[in-house]
Amino acid sequence: MNPISSPITRRDSIKKILKFSGCMALAGSPALPFDLSRSVLADTGRESFIVDARGRTPGFTIRDLTRKAFDAAGGMQRFISRGDVVVIKPNISWARAPQLAATTHPEVLASVIELCQEAGAKKIRIADHTIHGASRCFAVTGAGSVAKKTGADLVFPRSSLMKDMQLNGHRLSVWPVFTPLVEADKCINLPVAKVHSLSDLTLGMKNWIGAVGGRRYALHQDIHQTIVDLAQFFNPTVTLIDATRIMTRNGPSGGSMADVAVMNRLILSNDPVAADARAASLFGYAPDDIGFIRLGKKWQLGMYDTDVPLQREVSV
Amino acid sequence: MKPRHLVWLRRGSQVFFLCLFLFLLVESRLPQDIIVDYTQSMEEAREIRIEHPITFFFQLDPLVWLTSLISGHLWIKGFFWAMIVLAMTFLLGRVFCGFICPFGTIHHMVSYVKSSLRGKKLFHANRKTPSQKIKYAVLVTVLFSSLCGLNIAGWMDPVSFLFRSLALAVLPGLGNGLAEFFGLLAGSDIKIFNLMSYGEMLVWPVFGFDFKSFQTGWIIGMLFLVTLFLNRVRPRFWCRTLCPLGALLGVCSGFSRLGLEKDDDKCTHCQKCIMTCQGAAEPIVGVDWQAAECLSCFNCFDTCPENAIKFTFRRSGKKQKLPDMGRRAILGGLAAGVSFPFFGSLDGHIHTTSSASLIRPPGSVAENEFLKRCQRCGLCMKACPTNAINPTFTEAGMAGFWTPTLLMTQGYCEHTCTLCGSVCPTQAIQEILTREKIETPVRIGSAHFDRGRCLPWSGNGPCIVCEEHCPTSPKAIYFFEDWVEGPGGKRVKVKLPQVDLTRCTGCGICENKCPVRGKPAIRIISAGESRSAKNQILL
Repeated sequence: MNPISSPITRRDSIKKILKFSGCMALAGSPALPFDLSRSVLADTGRESFIVDARGRTPGFTIRDLTRKAFDAAGGMQRFISRGDVVVIKPNISWARAPQLAATTHPEVLASVIELCQEAGAKKIRIADHTIHGASRCFAVTGAGSVAKKTGADLVFPRSSLMKDMQLNGHRLSVWPVFTPLVEADKCINLPVAKVHSLSDLTLGMKNWIGAVGGRRYALHQDIHQTIVDLAQFFNPTVTLIDATRIMTRNGPSGGSMADVAVMNRLILSNDPVAADARAASLFGYAPDDIGFIRLGKKWQLGMYDTDVPLQREVSV
Repeated sequence: MKPRHLVWLRRGSQVFFLCLFLFLLVESRLPQDIIVDYTQSMEEAREIRIEHPITFFFQLDPLVWLTSLISGHLWIKGFFWAMIVLAMTFLLGRVFCGFICPFGTIHHMVSYVKSSLRGKKLFHANRKTPSQKIKYAVLVTVLFSSLCGLNIAGWMDPVSFLFRSLALAVLPGLGNGLAEFFGLLAGSDIKIFNLMSYGEMLVWPVFGFDFKSFQTGWIIGMLFLVTLFLNRVRPRFWCRTLCPLGALLGVCSGFSRLGLEKDDDKCTHCQKCIMTCQGAAEPIVGVDWQAAECLSCFNCFDTCPENAIKFTFRRSGKKQKLPDMGRRAILGGLAAGVSFPFFGSLDGHIHTTSSASLIRPPGSVAENEFLKRCQRCGLCMKACPTNAINPTFTEAGMAGFWTPTLLMTQGYCEHTCTLCGSVCPTQAIQEILTREKIETPVRIGSAHFDRGRCLPWSGNGPCIVCEEHCPTSPKAIYFFEDWVEGPGGKRVKVKLPQVDLTRCTGCGICENKCPVRGKPAIRIISAGESRSAKNQILL
């Protein structure tokens, strides 16, 4: 066609300009520094709260329990804004069936994702740098079916997703970090409560060992301080400790129903130290007994659960 | 059917089976999005299996069937496919070589697309030579060795050879190269390169969601390249000269009903037929057509401008000429076939002592039986999700070269995983259930400490990563707290780990996760493996 016979109209040119600038904006958007998301995450001066949710009535559902816990804390929309990219860090590191208490209960994970979706989250990712092979972990722990059911993204831990970052800790300065866990607007820590041979317990703060790569098993040589260093770096929006069933011995791997005690509890807090301190009491430990909880308070990551100003107990 | 159509039918079939082979090769791994409904897994541990029929080509391979039948007295799963192939060969000749064999197709492509020979040279290269007897020697070696109790078919069997080469050398080589490339992109400060590094996600499924590496991969890869290079000497060098399966099918094709008829009167001696002949089977007039060498590619049938060549069915059961095997090739094959099993047992690994470093996959049968069954195809190595299963180099001696062993520095045996047994085409590794593996327990070896290297034992500080990872319940690695003398005479209180041999299954996750790299402070030896009555420690 002769280009002269069909001159470019104003409408066409505006369309073209819009398309072009849209493409440029899209191409340029990943160039935004992700420090932005970190600064959004760290809303200082938030008031600490702790919610202790118990399932008392026989036949209660974990879904209701989770919902009740978040409702008592002011609802999920208090933490998640419309359009947020949310990353959830469950503990799905071991290829163990859910009832063995080595991993976060899939029902808890599904309920949290559902609440995030209701609060208007744009994208929800599930990320954990697993210990056992990731395909197996996703399948056996139930995280795979949860992701499929809810439409959340399950991030496969690849070496190219590990990037060296400044942790600015007391013991750790630079360490490879699993990037999906920092490249998000909001971060929810979703650990399971279980015993651990070296750090005594695996709770919220220890969950961050599953968020780093590199020579992470060398962290055991100073485990309590490195846990606290990681916890201050990741600093989640909120921590929900899954104590629906806990592992009382043979931790952290377990593997037998004899190691499991059913508690029907969920502990929700925006204070990582308080959440861990409360969960430690389930195992009969005082907060001071556990090295990383003590150090967490010392380095001002939070306070013990008894000092938290806003305490709630709910049950279903 | 016109000859032209027949050739296109052959090409179509070749492409189809090559693609199927590659597809099944790529699928021989645990998919990323494998879903097990957790409400079910809460009831009982569910077996995780690969859904595709990844052993299909091994079931199709008559050599795999025959050797495992002769040596292991074993009717492998799906052997009727191999029987169909044999029946087809009795009827139609070596159509497997021309229409199906993926390794043959690759050689066909290489010699056709990158042909180095032209004119007179090609004419001479495509004439039958005495070297074509070598494959019969290889076949006799393989069969006789099987009869004497050592199955070495896998070294030369085309399906095993190709699978091993692609899975253990070509794919890992490409994968590691690409991983390096994407790593470079990811480390770049230029945003567009950084974005491109996410291309890794696209190639990721092809390489099994991991960039693996295998012991002796370089030997496997170099041999593969050599077989490809040999096509420059003579087209389809492998198929004509070396392939034992080709030899087996060649012998069977002696009874084939489909035969080539030459019309001497029509022939103008243009010699076009021999220029396109894939098997050096002498389609020209003046010499006998070699039924056993013919790969049934139908190129001569298609090329002949005078229609002097025809493939016809013989009505009577008139036997074709027996293949020209040569007495010396047969005798040499017999000698080699007897020698291999006896030389293989000279290092004593089979009958007297077990090699400490030979850790067979869970469910493996006893060593003697294992060597009768294993095809060295590399399927278990490809499927192993942690890259633990590797081809042996010296661990199993000469007799067990390229059979599977677990290298715990590369991976470990996952406590709930039973994939390797489910993919083994010849049941050298038997299919076991997760429950069986954990409760029996199926042991593949046992762990021991190197106290001089262990951080707590040597007084260098707390660690017990091994105890943390130990998957059994109760744990096979336990500890007690004590004071040890550390560097500078300082006394430190540490948790000192030890192994409970009654519980240890030898899974090797302790060795794999030990922070002492290179030579870990806790290592697995084969002692205590369930499959051997002799190789036990405890009373």
